[in-house]
Amino acid sequence: MKRQAPLQSACKSFEEDLVLYYYGETDDVEQRRVQQHLSQCVSCQGFLDDLRRLLPQIAKSEPMTPAFWDDYYRETVAKLVRQEERQHWWRALFAPKPMWLVPAFGTVGAAVLVVGLLFGRGNLSSFIQRPAERIPQEILADENQLQFFESMDLLESLGKLEKQDDPSTDSTSSQSIRVRMQQDIV
Amino acid sequence: MKARNTVAGIFGLFLLLSSQGLMAASDNWRNLTPPEKDKVLQNYQRWEKLPPQDKEHLRDEWNRWQRLPKDERERIKQRYDRQRRDRRDD
Repeated sequence: MKRQAPLQSACKSFEEDLVLYYYGETDDVEQRRVQQHLSQCVSCQGFLDDLRRLLPQIAKSEPMTPAFWDDYYRETVAKLVRQEERQHWWRALFAPKPMWLVPAFGTVGAAVLVVGLLFGRGNLSSFIQRPAERIPQEILADENQLQFFESMDLLESLGKLEKQDDPSTDSTSSQSIRVRMQQDIV
Repeated sequence: MKARNTVAGIFGLFLLLSSQGLMAASDNWRNLTPPEKDKVLQNYQRWEKLPPQDKEHLRDEWNRWQRLPKDERERIKQRYDRQRRDRRDD
């Protein structure tokens, strides 16, 4: 790579003015003063020549192809969209959902509700603290089954109990009559 | 799409309804005292070992019991409890 020669030194009092002169940012008076100095000072002429040689190279920008600008535009739009999405992520929650999601969420919700009610309504510890107690599913199949197993003893002697179940021979009623009579006597 | 939604809805409803009985039974089970739970479990174990004709007989008795008038059921239940208490006291 070709190495550029450093800038020639200029007179300190004219260095700044020469840069402004190069960019055409000096007023008429200043411009005349600089031109007059340049006609007499070789090192300042060299400095100005160096500015004319080097500055265009520094400021030079390569022209971009249309494809570059297309990509640039697309990337910028994509970035803006991403930023917009990040800012309003909660809006996505309320955005219209595909139709199949509604019954799917409904079913999941119902299942969660059932599990929650099953374990939450009663005493959860009764499920956790007695792991050894295996409750057969047949008992918990429905309410009727549980009642059946609860009253199985009674069912076994139902016929006998029915035969005995004569209100006239009921000892409870005779007992209560006796108590009432005693109270009357007292 | 509509058919799929209907099927999913019916399935959800089925889950919900079928869980009702289970929930009620679980609630009733939780409300039992430990001795009552033991009794139910013992009865169940006994039930498993019963011959089929006895099982059928008990099922019939259960159906008959449920058809009995409420006051009669209560009377029989009281009588049964009393007899059991008497037997325990003896």
